[in-house]
Amino acid sequence: MSSLEPYFDEVAETRSRSDLDAMQLERLLLMLPHAYEHSPLVRSVWEEAGVHPRDIRSLADFSERAPFTDKETLRHWREDRGDPYAGLLCVPVDEVTTILSSSGTTGEPTLQPQHWGASGGPVPAGLSRDLWMMGMRPGDRVMVVIFTFRGPAFGMVQQFGATPILCDYDAADMIRFCELSLEFRPTGLYSLSSMIVHAIAEACEQGGFDPADVFSSYRAMVQAGEPLGARARAVVESWGVPLFEHTGVGDVGTAFECPEHDGLHFWEDDTFVENLDPDGTEPVGDRERGELVATALVNRTTPLIRFRSDDLVKLTRVPCPCGRTHSRLWPVGRKGDGVEIDGRTILPIDVWPAVESVDECSRGLFQIVREAPQMERLRLRVGYGPDCTDRLDTVRDDLMAAVTALLDRVPDVELVPEAELLKLGPPHKIPRVAKR
Amino acid sequence: MTAATTDQPVDDTRPLWGIAQYDDGTRRVPWPVSHAEIERGMAGAIPTLTGVGVGVGSRVLWCTLLSEAAHFWPLFIGTMLGGAQFSLADATAPDALRVGMFLRRLEYRAVMGVNDAVLDGFDELGRSYAEVFGGVPVVGARPGAYERLRAVGLAPHWFVLCGPAVAISVEPGGPARVDPGEWTLHEEYGRILVTSRRPRATTFDRTPTAIRGSLVDDHSFFPETGDPS
Repeated sequence: MSSLEPYFDEVAETRSRSDLDAMQLERLLLMLPHAYEHSPLVRSVWEEAGVHPRDIRSLADFSERAPFTDKETLRHWREDRGDPYAGLLCVPVDEVTTILSSSGTTGEPTLQPQHWGASGGPVPAGLSRDLWMMGMRPGDRVMVVIFTFRGPAFGMVQQFGATPILCDYDAADMIRFCELSLEFRPTGLYSLSSMIVHAIAEACEQGGFDPADVFSSYRAMVQAGEPLGARARAVVESWGVPLFEHTGVGDVGTAFECPEHDGLHFWEDDTFVENLDPDGTEPVGDRERGELVATALVNRTTPLIRFRSDDLVKLTRVPCPCGRTHSRLWPVGRKGDGVEIDGRTILPIDVWPAVESVDECSRGLFQIVREAPQMERLRLRVGYGPDCTDRLDTVRDDLMAAVTALLDRVPDVELVPEAELLKLGPPHKIPRVAKR
Repeated sequence: MTAATTDQPVDDTRPLWGIAQYDDGTRRVPWPVSHAEIERGMAGAIPTLTGVGVGVGSRVLWCTLLSEAAHFWPLFIGTMLGGAQFSLADATAPDALRVGMFLRRLEYRAVMGVNDAVLDGFDELGRSYAEVFGGVPVVGARPGAYERLRAVGLAPHWFVLCGPAVAISVEPGGPARVDPGEWTLHEEYGRILVTSRRPRATTFDRTPTAIRGSLVDDHSFFPETGDPS
């Protein structure tokens, strides 16, 4: 394979829509009986709905008849029955080698039992397509900056035939990131968040590193966790390296941007995705805001079937100008994150630009305090940097002015040290909505 | 005293497994690692884990950081090859919450790699070490955390990242031991040095580590501690 070719696996990445549909149906018809037979949760949910896998003969049947699951269903099963795997485990317990956990951003982490082989954990084949798509190549060195609790993300780099450079996900350790970049000259970086972007910028300044030199070897950088605000994005743009957005797909798959930077591709040969009315069951239109509903097509250990993710996305099945035919999505926010103020629903993504426009809050660490779906006033809890404790009244005034100008709603602002907010989340994101 | 040298010949044509880091007492040193030595480490981990009672049907929680992946990866896979399950948490203060979550929801034979940061996290959460770790038969603690756990009456095992090598004590209070097939230890003015015995992508020859202690023999030692017991 020439390194100039645009695809890692041209056949898989450019299948016609009819081929993709046929492949999805074939895999779905294998998965459904497996899940029904082995997952107590799936069997219970389907029995309650009066549906059996043999009733499903087409993708249309599935969309019409298959019942949903969601986080609440899993939580109830876990708590009511004392089953740590929430009724999802489809293999004998003694085949489980590894029990990982979700990030736990919005509550107690979900346990994720896995079956590993001698070479390590399951690495979806599609990740190699993603790394190639972003410009990395086998033989490269790829900087991996991530936490460990979700398993070895560096496995995707090794499977691809590249060498990972392993760097702690620690904002206080980004001088090391600069040193490693200069010594080993990686071509790719996985992954950035607002916190890490600002920490690298500060490390360059404090350590006397020229960002143009630090980043001279990079061809791609991946951002994960939550979208970068405009301010952090501008910092990355100043480094002159293309930034690729990355997100999870309903705890079932992953999605990455391609060089067109017009939506995030997810691989439809391992995940079946629907985009439905967040308050109903009907599909929304192309590129309209809906709720992502995901079904696993290859994970036979703990397959999620028709899982309502609470993630709000826009989605299109129109082939991308890059030539890939797999669908693209655009993350919008989380269902239930919105709060209606004076007739307008406001999401964290709406508040973000105003918060980070204030220098002392440039990291964009904030929460909407949502005591009820409808509130008279927007309540914000905003993190401030360590150097402005002597002028918090001014910071609050600036924030109120910025939010009011952007949203035409006057907010109440509670200021807290950034460190307090960072304690709330996994390292790459914080819960953006708090109940109090 | 000789520093580590890199890119030495190793009988492995695959790309490097990775570039990890180890602490030499003055800084964290980048550490190129081959697949071959990781695979040897997996096999070498099994007797150590068996020695602390980890085997078929048991479960281990590893507390680790990504830069330490070359130390820990052979242990993860060794756990699995020995028939046990494992879970992962970051060895950071915020992830103490995850350590506590795992230990509350599942039964573990061992939790390994506990460090000061994890204990700091439990301090912030207001949870006592005895409450969190008291029900776990084997707690492998790094220097610093080891003394803090002993101070509250627990009986941890040593778990020491000794430069590029991992040293674990098979009984509470016993010496920390490295894989004798892979490493030879030396002591110089109270500092532990390591020499690699087999081909590696990075060769170590009396390479200094961050660990101070006293040798028992050429593959085991007692780390220096403020705790005289």
